Amino acid sequence: MEKSFLEATQLSSFLETLRLFGELHGPTVTDAGVTTFAPIAAPSQLRIDYRRTQIPPKKYLLPFREQLLSYREGRYAEPAEAPPAIVLFALHPCDLAGIAYLDLVFLGENTDPGYAARRARLTLVGISCEPDDFCFCSAPNSEANCDAFLTTIKGGYIFSAVTARGEEIAAAAADLFSAADVPQSLAALHPGTGVAPQDPELRFSDNPLWQKFADTCVSCGACSVCCPTCYCFDVREYPALNGGGVRIREWDNCFFASHGEVAGANFRPTRLDRLRYRFLHKYCGFTPLQGITSCVGCGRCKAVCPVGIDLRELFSVAGGEMSP
Amino acid sequence: MSERVRDMHLPFAARLLERHELTEDTALFRIAPEEAALPQLSRFVPGQFVQISVPGAGEVPISPADLPGGDGALELCVRRVGHVTELLHQQLPGAPLGIRGPFGNGFPMEEMSDHPVLLLAGGLGIAPLRSLLMHLLRHRDRFGEITLMYGARQPKLMLFREEMAALAARGEMRLYLTVDFAPETNGIQSCAVGLLPDLLKGFRFDAPATYAAVCGPPPLYRCLIADLEQAGVAPGRIMLSLERRMRCGVGRCCHCAIGQKLCCVDGPVFRAGELKDIPEAL
Ligand SMILES: Cc1cc2nc3c(=O)[nH]c(=O)nc-3n(C[C@H](O)[C@H](O)[C@H](O)COP(=O)(O)OP(=O)(O)OC[C@H]3O[C@@H](n4cnc5c(N)ncnc54)[C@H](O)[C@@H]3O)c2cc1C
Ligand code: SF4
Ligand code: SF4
Ligand code: FES
Repeated sequence: MEKSFLEATQLSSFLETLRLFGELHGPTVTDAGVTTFAPIAAPSQLRIDYRRTQIPPKKYLLPFREQLLSYREGRYAEPAEAPPAIVLFALHPCDLAGIAYLDLVFLGENTDPGYAARRARLTLVGISCEPDDFCFCSAPNSEANCDAFLTTIKGGYIFSAVTARGEEIAAAAADLFSAADVPQSLAALHPGTGVAPQDPELRFSDNPLWQKFADTCVSCGACSVCCPTCYCFDVREYPALNGGGVRIREWDNCFFASHGEVAGANFRPTRLDRLRYRFLHKYCGFTPLQGITSCVGCGRCKAVCPVGIDLRELFSVAGGEMSP
Repeated sequence: MSERVRDMHLPFAARLLERHELTEDTALFRIAPEEAALPQLSRFVPGQFVQISVPGAGEVPISPADLPGGDGALELCVRRVGHVTELLHQQLPGAPLGIRGPFGNGFPMEEMSDHPVLLLAGGLGIAPLRSLLMHLLRHRDRFGEITLMYGARQPKLMLFREEMAALAARGEMRLYLTVDFAPETNGIQSCAVGLLPDLLKGFRFDAPATYAAVCGPPPLYRCLIADLEQAGVAPGRIMLSLERRMRCGVGRCCHCAIGQKLCCVDGPVFRAGELKDIPEAL
């Protein structure tokens, strides 16, 4: 992997170069004070030293609401959607890992056409991150899962091209790079913490912490909305007056009681059941990704939870108890 | 147009051919999918399901009541319970519908060959088991003894009653019917009064060799599994067809989760042994 040094003063020019590859989006702060990924018109809008956005970048791949198809006179048709080319700039490694997980889900067998079309038009540029108290990812400096990566060092950034598109960016920005000593081991610059893989049995354990969490959780679902790897969706159909109509899908939430409903019953009627359900799928995976942890340690769920539930509490206690 | 992978969200067009009322709230629908759908639908294995679209209402998973006929037409036995099924019941022959599938795993037909098969159906559970039964009877020489035990709440709710009786009369299968209660006994014979597990209790069969296929309302499963195991049927040979709300049918929306499994791709047919440690399965 080729590495070059980008002086901090060259950042604005670098952003202009990135625009060659699509509409530039990056972390910014709204008038209401919310950190969010949004179009970056001027470099001053960029908050490159942000901690985390409220809504993760999954919104670029799985819009909150999306048309699956339309129908008319007995025929069903896919939407003729041509997603724009977008460069997502300054993604943290946890969010990149989140996208990599969604790729496993949506680009696997039976590739999801809407997701695939948007994914193909997305260029991902990552940046190293300074973890705060909420973070527990394992590698805040991982260059994996992106096209190009910037590691923050004194006075600027070390640029690495990861994919062919990253090489194209490197070529386009060649004039902006300067010669500098590139540290050999970048990983040591930003050490992570991480959470060990969990045992599926934990979900059914009688650990009193489950009940404690269930007693305070208000089923608001915020932790799942803001999770970069929560992807479950609902499908609805809306007829139009002309006899046709559309079928859409939109984000769903396993914290809502309706999620576990079946023929007149509910397999997860209590909050305790639903907490454990989400836990099982975050930390122990799902068919066909059983065994793969989809929690990337971004810390959003703890940061947004109105009652301060922190599952790490359970892992440390139960993890110790459960180990053989 | 170039060869392109078909969007799995996109239903094939289909038309309602005819419908027969079976009971107050259940009807048999014959539907004809467009020709382009036939190669895919011809791969249907008993126990798999299709997603039926009713324009204006949405989609529901249905296990066809028989394999597609020579003309590709499918028979669906559907109970009117809610939003989509209600609108389906209002459709007249000729109405446009949609179909996706088949989805799910189906019964392991290869593995079951040469073995006796015991089918246990409760209520509407007869619908998916009927396609299994028809398949077994069409390939009668490939299977051991075939037995159908079918329980309904009362005689008038018993689906396919005449058809089943006629099939049994050909001597190719054993048939045991039971009703929870019989309000009027006007000439109804060959039908026990009691629950399905009661039928099983007095039944003598080669349990260790038998494959059992069970489909019915959730409470039925728990007691039947226990009884079957006690009779000597291995948990790996007790096949249960489970029902969940389904949206995508292809393992994405997570609505049909059963523990770490998804009903739409790992099921809907599960072995009792697989479900033992999943509290929310049954
Ligand atoms: C693999 C599979 C195979 C199936 N095969 C068949 C089949 O062959 N024939 C068939 O009729 N159905 C079958 N079903 C069930 C069928 O999919 C549901 O009945 C249907 O989805 C209900 O949709 P709806 O929109 O009409 O009802 P909804 O609007 O979703 O539900 C309305 C109300 O009805 C209740 N309800 C929903 N389904 C049922 C039910 N099955 N029994 C009792 N109450 C219910 C709900 O709890 C709710 O209160 C199958 C389901 C699965 C998963
Ligand atoms: S579970 Fe929480 S910490 Fe883990 S990826 Fe989701 S939001 Fe981030
Ligand atoms: S954010 Fe907190 S209160 Fe809301 S559903 Fe999640 S755990 Fe419960
Ligand atoms: S129906 Fe969507 S995951 Fe099973």
